[in-house]
Amino acid sequence: MDVGIAPWEAWVRAAWLHQFILGHAKAWPVLETLHYFGLSLVLGTICLFDLRVLGFAKPVPVMALHRLVPLGVAGFLLNLATGICFFFGYPDQYAYNNAFRLKLALMAVAGANIALFYGSVFGGLKTVAPGAEAPRAAKLLTAVSLLCWIGVLVCGRLLTFFRPPFFH
Amino acid sequence: MDAIFRAVEHSWLSQWLRESSVMLPALLVVHTLGMGFAAGPSVVIDLRLLGFGRQIPLAPLARIVPLVWIGVILNAASGVFLLAAYPTKALTNPVFFLKLALIAGAVTLIEPLRRQLADPDRSAKRLAALSIILWMGAITAGRLLAYTHTRLLVDLKAHF
Repeated sequence: MDVGIAPWEAWVRAAWLHQFILGHAKAWPVLETLHYFGLSLVLGTICLFDLRVLGFAKPVPVMALHRLVPLGVAGFLLNLATGICFFFGYPDQYAYNNAFRLKLALMAVAGANIALFYGSVFGGLKTVAPGAEAPRAAKLLTAVSLLCWIGVLVCGRLLTFFRPPFFH
Repeated sequence: MDAIFRAVEHSWLSQWLRESSVMLPALLVVHTLGMGFAAGPSVVIDLRLLGFGRQIPLAPLARIVPLVWIGVILNAASGVFLLAAYPTKALTNPVFFLKLALIAGAVTLIEPLRRQLADPDRSAKRLAALSIILWMGAITAGRLLAYTHTRLLVDLKAHF
């Protein structure tokens, strides 16, 4: 039974971005490659910072590693931009996909966790000397961050295995 | 060569990897995580050597190199299993050998770059720039493997 498509999906499919991505065979592989660059930057900066707060590579000063955060934000923005392009290319592959929904939920948790992190424990990290342990509360929030971003990666990589049955 | 590919693809390991519903997705997840933890911190070290984030002291940054090696080992292991699942797909594709060469180059630079953190000399920036180019090239070649393969002797069941 053909129930048609939702109005939002019709709007997405009428957009020039949708036409552009479907009309250029090279667009998708290029976007994917950029998405992989972006995820590597997030793992190499945000997750590296999280790992240091959790006790990995303790001789590295916490606040010095925090200087890498803008680079991680750049990686995230690159992935947000390329991710929006993916969505415009094949909207049904994402909207009706539990892996994608979980990915969005994990990003929302990561975002709320960032607000909580800067609103509570971040100030206390400024006095953590090189080689010293971070406070327990800071470790808890960075563990949440690390798990969320790894979860986002896992959901993203598994997304195509959870395609809706009507997607071809 | 086809006889060898067929022999591998008919082995219990190769068949199990292809027919299991969890093995290929799990291998692809590990391979992507390993990529991020190998390339990400490597590029951070490279950027620091190139002058980005000068507040980060050089010498302690050597402590993050084990993370890079963990990523490399995860990817070598998961890569061997992915190759065992679909040998024809990879070994008949020149891009696969380009990817291996780029990774060999990037991995060869890990320890020289670690030594640069302790005692940087004139070659530090050149090595760092080369490392960034090699990691970006390896990621690009790896991602393009899903689009550039021309031969398969078994059905492609996973979404690479």
